Amino acid sequence: MTQGRFTGVGLGLRRPHLEQVAGMEAHGVPFWETCPENLIGDGGRNHRLACAILDRDPVLTHGLAISVGGFDPWDDEYLRDLGDFLLRTETPWHSEHLCFTSVDGSSLHELMPLPFTREAVRHTIARARSLQARLPVPLLLENITYYAELGAAEMDEADFITAVLEGADAGWLLDVNNVYVNSLNFGFDPKEWLARMPLDRVAQLHIAGHKKFGELTVDTHGTDVIDPVIELMQWTLRRLGRPVPVLLERDNHIPDFEALLAERVRIQQAYDAALTLCGHRHD
Amino acid sequence: MTESRTLRLQRAMAALVLDADEDALVADPGRLARRLELSGADQGSFRDQGPGMLTYRELARMSLLEPLEEMFPVLKALLEEAGVWSTCVQAFLDARMVRSSHYRDIAPSFLGWLAATGWGQDRWPFLLELAHAEILEVVVARFPDSDPLDGLHADPGSDDLVVMDPATQVVSYAHAVHRVTEASPVPEARPTQLLAFRNAAGEARVLELTPATAALLVQAQTRTLAQAAEALNLSDLVPVMNLLRDLHRDGAIAGFQSPT
Repeated sequence: MTQGRFTGVGLGLRRPHLEQVAGMEAHGVPFWETCPENLIGDGGRNHRLACAILDRDPVLTHGLAISVGGFDPWDDEYLRDLGDFLLRTETPWHSEHLCFTSVDGSSLHELMPLPFTREAVRHTIARARSLQARLPVPLLLENITYYAELGAAEMDEADFITAVLEGADAGWLLDVNNVYVNSLNFGFDPKEWLARMPLDRVAQLHIAGHKKFGELTVDTHGTDVIDPVIELMQWTLRRLGRPVPVLLERDNHIPDFEALLAERVRIQQAYDAALTLCGHRHD
Repeated sequence: MTESRTLRLQRAMAALVLDADEDALVADPGRLARRLELSGADQGSFRDQGPGMLTYRELARMSLLEPLEEMFPVLKALLEEAGVWSTCVQAFLDARMVRSSHYRDIAPSFLGWLAATGWGQDRWPFLLELAHAEILEVVVARFPDSDPLDGLHADPGSDDLVVMDPATQVVSYAHAVHRVTEASPVPEARPTQLLAFRNAAGEARVLELTPATAALLVQAQTRTLAQAAEALNLSDLVPVMNLLRDLHRDGAIAGFQSPT
């Protein structure tokens, strides 16, 4: 599923950087990731800048809006606009989160965990297949951080994700930071966890920073990535043995563009080193 | 048909995030699961994972309330001073009015809720106008882009209609709500007309208009400039035409067209 032009470490396209990025073709970022819902139906100066960048540079799309595991009917108008947007950007796939975000039409604007139950597996497979049928590109599902299990679990998270990905025949956007954060909060070995998973379905990785609040570690996307998460990314890349694209997420406490570029280069060097070890060259 | 357990759990999570009664939830997160008659095992799950469940409440509320705090700083200052900002926000959450999955729609949803319910407007008659004025610039700045309108010309004639840019808004308030600050959030009661538009660079601009100019801009969209000027007793069209040319150059007016 990985397409040749999408390798290396990309960045999320963020509002404070739009002006600078739009005027800068040789930024060294191999691709951008953008949230379609932030652009569809928007307008004005920032919108025009973002569209100019997305029409110029390679783009992957990543949604926050669709309640994949929810029960609310699809917003067909939005899905039509999303399909047009995906074709315009020429993204090879579109990713959404393996979670629910709305209930009875009320949007919670947070990634809520699905119950780790057989019923939720069946429901989410049906929803993911239904969503895939409405999209013009393959759908990836991303594993989320979770801070509590919703209801009494019948399986663990790894089995839940595997069952949904296999049942829906969906690709996987593997967020290694989310795996790491979950391993801290629920006390497991992230490499053992990953070794159980269907890594052949991975098309893209996410990497990000997190922060500890009391007993709980939260996926904040607001700090630099720590070394153990970079090491987990490298371990995963070596295990995959192929140069899937990695997206460095930074959504809070967004630094100036130069600082973010330096952070990207740091992750890119780790990415290149991991792939060199497994015999891949990334040019 | 039996209601899905998955849906019941999702509804319980939504209630945990959005409902009032924070103290009771902190004391016993399982109470909500009991109220919603979840199974014993699911009640236990809510009860035994209290801190994790309440983290979701904190995170979701942060997502829902940050846009309100950012977009309505003066309204927040006014209501905080009166000790009712939290009450207002909770009433909004109770109404489950955030229906859009677009983050940028949260603040307009709040404005819509204020308009629909009249919340607080007995005590503060200017409340809705204040909220509207606070997001006016952003709404105009982010109005969806559209293709240029066909059949318009750049120079106005007395027999022309005015065609506004789709993002432009002419608004009329009973209070000078554009003059308030967080330190002084109560506006003067004074009729106020504003023109909010997007310039050629796509940036929002807000101008205060005289009542006559505001009326002309509204009326000349449906009757010719000459008819609108006559209705407003504007005998000299020269300054009117100059103003219209300026507003066209600045981007507020898309152009002019002959009536069909």
